[in-house]
Amino acid sequence: MSFFLQLLVAGIATGALYALMAMGFVLVYRATRVVNFAIGEFLLVGGYLTYTLNLVLPLPWAMVLTLPLAFAFGLLVERGFVRPLLGRNVVAVIMATIGLALALDGATQLAWGPDQKYLEGQLPVLTLALGELILPSRSVWSLLLALPAALALVYALKRSRYGVLVRAVAESEVAALAMKIPAPRIVALVWGLSAALAAVGGALLAGLSGVGPHLIAMGLMVFPVAILGGMDSVGGALLAGMLVGVAESLSRGYLEALVPGITEATPFLIVLLVLLARPYGLFGEREIERV
Amino acid sequence: MLAVENLKVVYRGVILALDGVTLRVEPGEAVAVLGPNGAGKSTLVRALGGLLANYEGRVLDGRILLGDAEITHAGPLAPAREGLTAVLEGRPVFRYLTVMENLRAAGHRLPRARLAREIEEVLARFPRLAERRHEQAGYLSGGEQQMLILGMALLTEPRFLVVDEPSLGLAPRLVADLFQRLRQLQRERGLALVLVEQNARAALAIVDRVYVLERGRVVFEGRREEAERDVDVLEFYLGEGPAGYRQARRYRRRKRWV
Ligand SMILES: Nc1ncnc2c1ncn2[C@@H]1O[C@H](COP(=O)(O)OP(=O)(O)O)[C@@H](O)[C@H]1O
Ligand SMILES: [Mg+2]
Repeated sequence: MSFFLQLLVAGIATGALYALMAMGFVLVYRATRVVNFAIGEFLLVGGYLTYTLNLVLPLPWAMVLTLPLAFAFGLLVERGFVRPLLGRNVVAVIMATIGLALALDGATQLAWGPDQKYLEGQLPVLTLALGELILPSRSVWSLLLALPAALALVYALKRSRYGVLVRAVAESEVAALAMKIPAPRIVALVWGLSAALAAVGGALLAGLSGVGPHLIAMGLMVFPVAILGGMDSVGGALLAGMLVGVAESLSRGYLEALVPGITEATPFLIVLLVLLARPYGLFGEREIERV
Repeated sequence: MLAVENLKVVYRGVILALDGVTLRVEPGEAVAVLGPNGAGKSTLVRALGGLLANYEGRVLDGRILLGDAEITHAGPLAPAREGLTAVLEGRPVFRYLTVMENLRAAGHRLPRARLAREIEEVLARFPRLAERRHEQAGYLSGGEQQMLILGMALLTEPRFLVVDEPSLGLAPRLVADLFQRLRQLQRERGLALVLVEQNARAALAIVDRVYVLERGRVVFEGRREEAERDVDVLEFYLGEGPAGYRQARRYRRRKRWV
């Protein structure tokens, strides 16, 4: 029982991180209909920013400072890459984000070299022991940072003044403009936010396991999570993130010994099964039909 | 004062939708822009709202002036700064937002306390909206959506309010009611109203002056009474006129078109 609980909580912790990254990805998709294939590289950029800042700053400060820089990076991507392409056909935009991903892969390698980088110092070790339940520091940090951030984001979107505007722009840019809502600024903000959320993941993972191309692979977990959540539902992404995190964790605990390698496939198997039953994912917004 | 001078608009570089439109609206005045389907009415509304780019459209020639400011190429947020709000065709409310959220989105530039007061005023004006304030706007009826979008437009604090075919798809009784409310609003707030309509009879009841568009051009311009007297306008935009005469004229008109 305690082994199960252990896996469950660890899964929720990882899941919160997935959720956070997926929420940014989903927001971008909702606001611009762009599927950002460079999301893994956003993570990577977050990791390398943390690494670089960490050369001169203590790690916690490096991580904190990464966020505004990543936000600015998101704004740049929106200005330079996305805005010129908006309104073009879907394939062109997808190719562009794939191109962006490759360019960023190359650029980060050029700038920082191909080898794995490790950070100076580490986050304070926070192991949590609740009776038999022992949570590694990694999980505690992720629970501490990612989970509140994810919940705050859902709340802000639902309730805050800006959240309402983001949802309005996501639904119809032209209707928003007609109501004097500064849609371009809000779209840019959404890209910045998405980059910053990915960077939270990147920074946290960098602090835990160093920086290198493995971060891209982590970033790709956003896809099963977002699809499972329904692509355009931020709340859906949150729950789907948890679900995938937990499934992965359980699979690692119980199935990995029997079927080596199964854990990597688990998220995608779940997506496949869910989509067979519910083509719009678990929480995809249903079109409002009214005569 | 709103002035449109010799405005030419193309879509995708080739489709000429406005071919030299000139019109003028004084502050506080109610003007109707009438015309059949495809005349270019919505194009005019989009141009006034600075929204052509969202439809792959572009101003080819001419200009739009609001007071002293030229807003022809100034982008979507410029008309707003100068006090013009364009309500697009098809009552484009945010369907996944609740009535309240729609109103808050539209009034986002107002300070918090003011916004709350103004929203209450809109809800008092349109009690149906008050009843359904927490429902998603996509589930409102057409008439309710039209009231909502008008309420939203009011929260942007326009001096010039341009409304594209508010009567579309509404029952005649609703149209009459809606237009009376529009008229009342326009008077109370001292708004200039540009009412773009195919439903000429209903529109004529509440305006001072009339423009008629046809194939991207102004083919008639005058006071409401003149429009009501003019046989062409009656015939083609009100579907009235002396019967035999009407036949002959329509024939002649058709020949002129082809
Ligand atoms: N987005 C668009 N792209 C290309 N052509 C358009 C577009 N919108 C309107 N048109 C064309 O421009 C002309 C005027 O249309 P519109 O302004 O919608 O007229 P109305 O509102 O009077 O019915 C029509 O011939 C229409 O086909
Ligand atoms: Mg129209």
